[in-house]
Amino acid sequence: MRHFSLKRFGLLAMLVIFVGLLIFITTHARAYTSDPGIPEESLSPNWSLAEAGSSAPVLAITPPPVAQEPCLSCHILGQNKGLWTPLARWVLFGGLGLVFVFGVFRSANTWVTRSPWRSFTSRVAGWVDERYNISEPLTKILKKPVPKYALHWWYCLGGITAFLFVVQGITGILLAFYYKPTPEAAYSSIQYIETQVYLGSAIRAIHHWCANGMIVMCVAHMLRVFIMGAYKAPRELNWLSGVLLLILTLVFGFTGYLLPWDQRAFWATTVGSEIAGSIPAIGNLTLVFLRVGWNVTGETLSRFYGLHVIIVPLATVAFMGAHFLMIRRQGIAKPL
Amino acid sequence: MSEIEHTPEDSIPFFPDHVKTEFFVVLGILAIVVIIGIAGLIKPVGIGDPADPLNTPLHVKPEWYFLALYQILKKIPPMVLGIEGKVVGVVIPVVLVAIIFIWPFLDHKPDKSKRIYWIRLALAIVAIVTIIALTIWGEVS
Repeated sequence: MRHFSLKRFGLLAMLVIFVGLLIFITTHARAYTSDPGIPEESLSPNWSLAEAGSSAPVLAITPPPVAQEPCLSCHILGQNKGLWTPLARWVLFGGLGLVFVFGVFRSANTWVTRSPWRSFTSRVAGWVDERYNISEPLTKILKKPVPKYALHWWYCLGGITAFLFVVQGITGILLAFYYKPTPEAAYSSIQYIETQVYLGSAIRAIHHWCANGMIVMCVAHMLRVFIMGAYKAPRELNWLSGVLLLILTLVFGFTGYLLPWDQRAFWATTVGSEIAGSIPAIGNLTLVFLRVGWNVTGETLSRFYGLHVIIVPLATVAFMGAHFLMIRRQGIAKPL
Repeated sequence: MSEIEHTPEDSIPFFPDHVKTEFFVVLGILAIVVIIGIAGLIKPVGIGDPADPLNTPLHVKPEWYFLALYQILKKIPPMVLGIEGKVVGVVIPVVLVAIIFIWPFLDHKPDKSKRIYWIRLALAIVAIVTIIALTIWGEVS
């Protein structure tokens, strides 16, 4: 019985479940009923469903009047809560339709051209390559040999830092959707994120802890480079950009700490900018630049927000790009 | 410009081998990130009392990564060698960062033996232990 394998049986079972689910979802009568709390009568007095459990006598199930037709746009407007049923219907039937169209096209194409089928990816790749001649340099980039010693765990510290930066960017953008950088609204917007926003406290926790993790990883990477002497010629500029990136990470932490606008943030910033203010010669200038005046006020909050969200990320991305390009060009330093 | 030559025996291609390894590292970190997120749902980071410029709390502290610096500034005597202590406390870290910044130009001779690794490791451990000690001191004080 070669043709009857368990794998095929599994596929068949999956198909049966799939189709069953499809029929169940698409014929489920209450699919379009909006809020279960609203009685059926108030929606359409002339129409009731047997399974709705309404007290009205069960008459013949007639379609609702045109004026009260359950509308598709109501899903988008949020008036109808049952979003999953139409979505599943669109995905299932739409996917099957696309498969059907593709099959027809493929058969017709093979028959007309009298040549084997070429996949869409290879067609697109060929089209692009014809115009921009990209495959040769791309292959060279992708096939570049990486030394085997670069697989030791201590070589991934810098990569982890870069990945945490990406995590910080994504969660930071999500937080920025709800955060308001004014002294009146900052505190309450953080409370709103923590309590009201869907997964808000998770996003904030990730942003908070990964910020600390990024500093730790940055320092660990720096120590690794220092101990192994990877900063030596010809990689001096890599070290310079790395130190600048560490400083930028610290500036990230310093400016981000003020944003919740609670007592801890306020006084940490007061103390921190005081430290910067006691540098001889340029101290007062730094203090005034950071605080926008002599005291920590709403202006300080705006400035820190601007630095945290625009200036420092741009600088970090620029230096990171330079850092990576130099690594790429020079290869990973060979240990003794 | 010294491009390192690699023989096929001691190297792997960047794609897919090296990328695959990096991908698994990223997956591991992502798992930790998700765990942090779930922990954040159970116990949010939270927020203290609203900022009040007129009311200074008892223990004012900067972020933990500036605690060591702050502790130096707090504990340094008012006058050191005839210079104001605060100025010394700030200038020394700035000079240290500047030295770290230009370190490759100060220590530019190629390494001769593996012994130098251990020397630098010892140096790094001393520096880190000092910073951690100052941070803990700043945290508990």
